[in-house]
Amino acid sequence: MQIQLNQAIEKTCQVLIGKQQQVKLALTCLLANGHLLIEDLPGMGKTTLSHTLAKVLGLQYSRIQFTSDLLPADMLGISIFDNKEQNFRFHPGPIFNQLVLADEINRASPKTQSALLEAMEEGQVSLDGETRALPSPFFVIGTQNPSHQSGTYPLPESQLDRFLMRIQLGYPDVEAEKLMLKNQISSLEHQIQPIMSVEQFQQAQTLAQQVHSSEPLVDYILRLVTFSRESQQFANPLSPRATKAILAAAKAWAYLSNRDYLIPEDIQAILPAVAEHRLRSASSDFSLTGSLSQLLLESIDPIAA
Amino acid sequence: MKQVSQALTKNSSLILITIELILVSFSLFESVLTWILLIVACAAVIRGAIHFNFHKHLPSIRTLNLLAILSALGLIYSGMSLGLLIGMVNLLVLACALKLMQVRTQKDIYQLIISLFFLIGCGFIFNQSIVYSLFYCAMCLLLLLSLACHHAPNIRLKSQFKRVFTLSLQAAPIGILLFLVLPQLPPLWQTPKSKSMETGLAEQITPGDIASLSQSSELAFRATFIGTVPVSSERYWRAIVMEDFDGKTWKIHPYRKQLRNQQLRANQEFQPKLTGTYWDYQVIAEPTHQNWLFGLDLATPNGNASQVEIFQSNEFQLISHQKLVSQYQYKVRSYPQALSTQPFSQLDQQLNLSVPKNGNPLTRQWINELRTQYADNQEFIQAVLAHFTTNSFIYTLKPALMYSDPIDKFLFENQAGFCSHYASALAFSLRLGGIPARIVTGYQGGELATDAQTSYISVYQYDAHAWVEIWQPNSGWLRIDPTALVSPDRINLGLREAMAEEGSFLSDSPFALARMIDVAWLNNIRLLLADMDYNWSRWILGFNKQHQQELFKSILGKLTPDRMSLLGLGITTIITLLLTLFFIPHWLENRLDKTQRYYQQAIKLLNNKQLGRKNWQGPIELANQVNQRYSVEIAEPFATLTKLYVRLVYQSSNITTQGQLNDKQCHKMMRKALAQLKAELARLN
Repeated sequence: MQIQLNQAIEKTCQVLIGKQQQVKLALTCLLANGHLLIEDLPGMGKTTLSHTLAKVLGLQYSRIQFTSDLLPADMLGISIFDNKEQNFRFHPGPIFNQLVLADEINRASPKTQSALLEAMEEGQVSLDGETRALPSPFFVIGTQNPSHQSGTYPLPESQLDRFLMRIQLGYPDVEAEKLMLKNQISSLEHQIQPIMSVEQFQQAQTLAQQVHSSEPLVDYILRLVTFSRESQQFANPLSPRATKAILAAAKAWAYLSNRDYLIPEDIQAILPAVAEHRLRSASSDFSLTGSLSQLLLESIDPIAA
Repeated sequence: MKQVSQALTKNSSLILITIELILVSFSLFESVLTWILLIVACAAVIRGAIHFNFHKHLPSIRTLNLLAILSALGLIYSGMSLGLLIGMVNLLVLACALKLMQVRTQKDIYQLIISLFFLIGCGFIFNQSIVYSLFYCAMCLLLLLSLACHHAPNIRLKSQFKRVFTLSLQAAPIGILLFLVLPQLPPLWQTPKSKSMETGLAEQITPGDIASLSQSSELAFRATFIGTVPVSSERYWRAIVMEDFDGKTWKIHPYRKQLRNQQLRANQEFQPKLTGTYWDYQVIAEPTHQNWLFGLDLATPNGNASQVEIFQSNEFQLISHQKLVSQYQYKVRSYPQALSTQPFSQLDQQLNLSVPKNGNPLTRQWINELRTQYADNQEFIQAVLAHFTTNSFIYTLKPALMYSDPIDKFLFENQAGFCSHYASALAFSLRLGGIPARIVTGYQGGELATDAQTSYISVYQYDAHAWVEIWQPNSGWLRIDPTALVSPDRINLGLREAMAEEGSFLSDSPFALARMIDVAWLNNIRLLLADMDYNWSRWILGFNKQHQQELFKSILGKLTPDRMSLLGLGITTIITLLLTLFFIPHWLENRLDKTQRYYQQAIKLLNNKQLGRKNWQGPIELANQVNQRYSVEIAEPFATLTKLYVRLVYQSSNITTQGQLNDKQCHKMMRKALAQLKAELARLN
């Protein structure tokens, strides 16, 4: 199973050159059954990543481009009167897919945003007094532009918390970009075949959560979380939901790394992605806040008993 | 560093330290200069403003340096007159205040806390009563609390306090033990006199002085009696003898001072003839910053220590060689009949007959008339005394002011005054009549308290008194107390009873407990407090080398060097045992299991060789770093160690596949790898 997953990573990396770490994190997120938020400037490959992942994992895929006039109904679906059958028939919206790419999520109005986020949290959609289950597995990969770009509604903290991870793609290095220009990647993108079935992926999800977490390791997570709450450098400390997210993501990461137990490095690898968007600095002095999750990591010794 | 300082300004330990500094330095307000107290207040205001977010910035280092230089100059200027010790205490308070303004780092906090502990120690130089001792103990607790708050800023204050309190209680037995056995050293420095501390008897009286003294309910001294106790009317505690009179003021005669200095230089002292019965007792005098000691009638120092430390003067005063800067305990034996048998020298005669040439004409005239009428000394004295009894003299604490010819005014106009008026008038009159007389000041009476074994007398400042001693060829020195003639209650029942009608007893302090004698339970409280204070002075403050020796004797029987060293050994063992009892559970709790210990040892070894592990590195990453930085010989055993460590700590222990090592085997391998690592590192040198 892990071999297939690693193949999936490899395949994706052929499309998204030089982004091994981010691809692995993205797959980790899906493996931990969490939603992913990709934040970056336009044109960095956000859409490509999610599209490729969907293809590789053989998931039904749809893409919703969020705009400021997008309405919840455009996303969830609508009941239309069928003249033939003389009753209303529900036309499911693009959200009824296993992997939904919510592109530029912060361009939509808060109303639409919260409709999506509710669907993410509940795994179901309530329309016209009827509850409709979303397919399983159900993932949302949200992409957003950095909030200082114009025409954006930044997501509130409570909604950011729903995303298991937030990753940034960043510019590729020169070598990777050169390679990208040489190869005809866009054609490659269409040739991608699914590596595994949806059932296999779900099985992998179950197995990933069986990764052993020893007591010293759980203590390490707790020390990290407690530090964020006790230190006065964090205005928004980590919630219990964040604690659960850290453990789940770390397990998925360890599973992807072919291990059946957790080591501190797993935590350290996923923590920036899991914690950064949930933390907020208490200090208004931006110059000294490099990365809050890095600060958090550097404050705790994983080895000390 | 900026992060740290930001965290520092937020936590509550600094505000606790601020409170502490204010309380301690204001408890020393008598010795600390006012402007230094102002700087303390400024520091407190700065800290308070930062704590409550009124202001965000500490004063800059440059400002503080300037302030420090200025205050150092100020301290040098005013310190000239203060003397070394007080100057040093001022310096300490100043340093603490400036440090408080400047605290930025961890180191600053430690320095400040240690200085404050020192300051609390200084507090004991000046104040030693129970209340102050309790206060300083509380201050120590507060300081420890602030230290705890500094280390764990997020734990609630209540639980912090509980913890600090428990720890202090646990430390108390060790403290008590050390108090009992550590050598009792004499003070390392001479405590200088402070101007504001002159209480007690004055070295000269212009009638009017003692009225203010009478109003104070402070303790003057306590005497513990072995055997019988003299009755109240016999308890005349002599302190200062005044023989020089200028018409208004009585003071110690300069000749006597000269004589005393000569005697001191020649290492001689007056040896009184001792006859008749005696009383043995022990006195614990409160600090007066003077040399005068108190004794009944003719008193001689008793016991070796007291004989060395106390000087007996020709006018039968007991004078301590050291000023009484703290409570002082001495043993005395008093001979009530011995006053009459002492020799009377030419000098005594001359001093005790001298009167000023002018002034008080009415008195002079009256004495002349009386003297022509009564040639016999005895009759003459009786006639003078009769003047007090036949006229309507009043004993009052609120006499009218008498500036010129005070004795004339007192004897013939006002006829109202207190002991020094009477004593002064009588002594002057008798001297005019050719009878040697002098004024003795001291205390009269005192409150008797008796418990099972001992009885002790507490003498308060309001028991201060003045009376007259006259000399007659046939009876020697004789005490005459004119106050007793006018107001027998003052002598028999004490000042409180005597002033009952006038209501002026302690009228300045309406809530003084001594005023409330009629309320039974309040009086009980007062007596209880006095009792506590007595025991405190006697057993805690009075615990000196001698007491310590006695304690050792009662434990060991005889003080041989062998036994002493055995005792020392025993005490060290007890203290070690107590400390072990405290630390063992902690140690056991914190003791790392083998896995951790081996691994941490390896890290320590590598860190000694400039590995520079960042304290957040995980084991695998660390192994990679070691691999990159060191040769294979070193990296390999460490890799093995890391592998085993990860296996033991992070891997599931339920896996019992074949070929999996059990914990014991792992530990063995770890030990081996550690030894290998050690050897390789040693070879590196």
